[in-house]
Amino acid sequence: MKIYPYKRLSRPITLRVTSVSLKLSDGTRDPLDTSAYSTQEQAVALGVAGHADWVSATIGLSATLPPGADAPDAAWSDLRVLAVLTDGDTNVRTSTALTRDTEGSRDWSGFMELFRDDHLGRANLGAYAVGTVDGVRGRSITETDRNWIVDTVSDEPVRGLRLDVRKASFSKSSREWLHAYADAPWLVDTTARVPTVFVNTDIDGIVGLLDSNGSGVESKVRDLLVAQMATDVWTAVFHGAIGDLEVEPGGGPVFPTDWQGEVLREMLPDVVPGVHVEEALRQVHRRRTGDSGWGELQTRIHYAAVRRAEAAKAVGYMIRSLERTNRESET
Amino acid sequence: MITQPHHVPERLALLSGSAADPFLTEGLLTGEQVHSGIDLAKVVEPLPDDDARWWVEPVRSLVDDAMFAFENERTRADAWLAPRLHATLRLTRQEAADSRLWNHLALAVAPDYVVWRHLSDSSRRVAAARFQGPADRQCFSRLWWAAELFRNGPDYGPVEVACGNQDLIHTVLRMDFLDHRPTAQALVRLLKNGKVTTGREINGLGVTINAAGATVIYDAFAPDEPRDPDRLRDWIEEAQTAPPVSRHVLPEGPDEDPAPEDSVAELTEYFAELFETAPVRGRKIED
Repeated sequence: MKIYPYKRLSRPITLRVTSVSLKLSDGTRDPLDTSAYSTQEQAVALGVAGHADWVSATIGLSATLPPGADAPDAAWSDLRVLAVLTDGDTNVRTSTALTRDTEGSRDWSGFMELFRDDHLGRANLGAYAVGTVDGVRGRSITETDRNWIVDTVSDEPVRGLRLDVRKASFSKSSREWLHAYADAPWLVDTTARVPTVFVNTDIDGIVGLLDSNGSGVESKVRDLLVAQMATDVWTAVFHGAIGDLEVEPGGGPVFPTDWQGEVLREMLPDVVPGVHVEEALRQVHRRRTGDSGWGELQTRIHYAAVRRAEAAKAVGYMIRSLERTNRESET
Repeated sequence: MITQPHHVPERLALLSGSAADPFLTEGLLTGEQVHSGIDLAKVVEPLPDDDARWWVEPVRSLVDDAMFAFENERTRADAWLAPRLHATLRLTRQEAADSRLWNHLALAVAPDYVVWRHLSDSSRRVAAARFQGPADRQCFSRLWWAAELFRNGPDYGPVEVACGNQDLIHTVLRMDFLDHRPTAQALVRLLKNGKVTTGREINGLGVTINAAGATVIYDAFAPDEPRDPDRLRDWIEEAQTAPPVSRHVLPEGPDEDPAPEDSVAELTEYFAELFETAPVRGRKIED
């Protein structure tokens, strides 16, 4: 818990997205329907309408302050509410002031505009209530405790890590570096913008199997295969993220701001259970860079990956399905 | 020490991390052997060929000039090259955030520069991250981003100041508070007027600004003006016909408004005050 040298509100701001529209390169506006954002996931997907040529997006916002913000005996004056958009990949930081809906209301609203040229993938959107405390302007009184994610590419508003799955003939692909791996059924590339799984179409039938959507044994085999790939991906991205950690001068490792950070926050509780994620990150970093303990940690990392990939479920259904097939062939 | 590859491409392209990895050989990292360029050219993804920005020659000749001019004080090349690289390679932030472009520049176009600038005297090696690594470490992306984050509208003057101090770009470049333009300008001003000088002081100031940012929202304390995206677009468009950047006077960046003077002045004063009382290792507290 952070300690502040002045009084604040103990409860967070609730931030909602109320509308999303795109400005296209021909100057027209396309208001996106509600499938572009999800309050449950707190995510916005600007790719839903399939426009490749949008110039800017305008996101309608509504923020509700916790009770007490306007209390007559509050320790602050000049209450204001700001929405702030940040992007760790492009170092963009944009803020916009929200305005109070009606006098005395706890609801504030406004619009955040973001430009396509300013973002590669995902941005974070949060809100702050600020006031003047003891003569210092801009003191944070409270903020959102969970940011919204604005994905400039995705066509589905989800928070979790998105994988890119690409099919390619490893032996003939124009990505010549894949040629060296021609006998592998799939490969994980964690150096791309989002982790990417390349599926080798040279393996006969693999694409048909992965695309199958029946209900028989085949689909259970597919799920098992997908779980196996997902385990590989989670393991690889975890190692990639830990290997790229930045260390503060004289301090500990810093959480990355991109998807690598998301992966670490999600997996660390399984890798080092029972401690706060910041402490878990320090421990893992110490083990990797120190003299001992890295080998011992591999089982935990594998466990965290297997859980995320839902491998137990896939194996369970696969076995059930086999049992049923065997029974049917006996009778 | 290595020279440029036998085959230098004519156009910039995208080189993914996985494709780049096999070329980060021991020979390259010790600065003794460079690839021929031919095999590397096979694994790149091309950029659109109707865009003059992707011609290699203007960047390559900048790098050659930097090596010629700063042979005896290589770290000083940063302050010279950063604004000129930025004004030559006119990128949107979206384009600049694609590490594949920087991988290609470092490995295919100018690996000799990376070695020239970053070969460590003590270990006799170049850190692999100088070729392919985080944006604030990679040889060329760190310069581009330093120029982007420290320029004040079209004025690259603050970039020269910031990049003239290795401690500043080494430790501060990856800190999030720089993304707020008036904060970046206030930092340069403190450096310029001699309020902070040593590496320890800069570190201390960075930590202080960061810590204070947890309670003071700088966007509210010292607001920035919204940017006009068309000014940047126009400047990027002009790259199609722009002459080479001057080697002797600072180029001009995009014609954007500078950070509001009031905000910069106020933050400069605020940071100076915080810094007076900040604990800095090695600094004696006067009583």
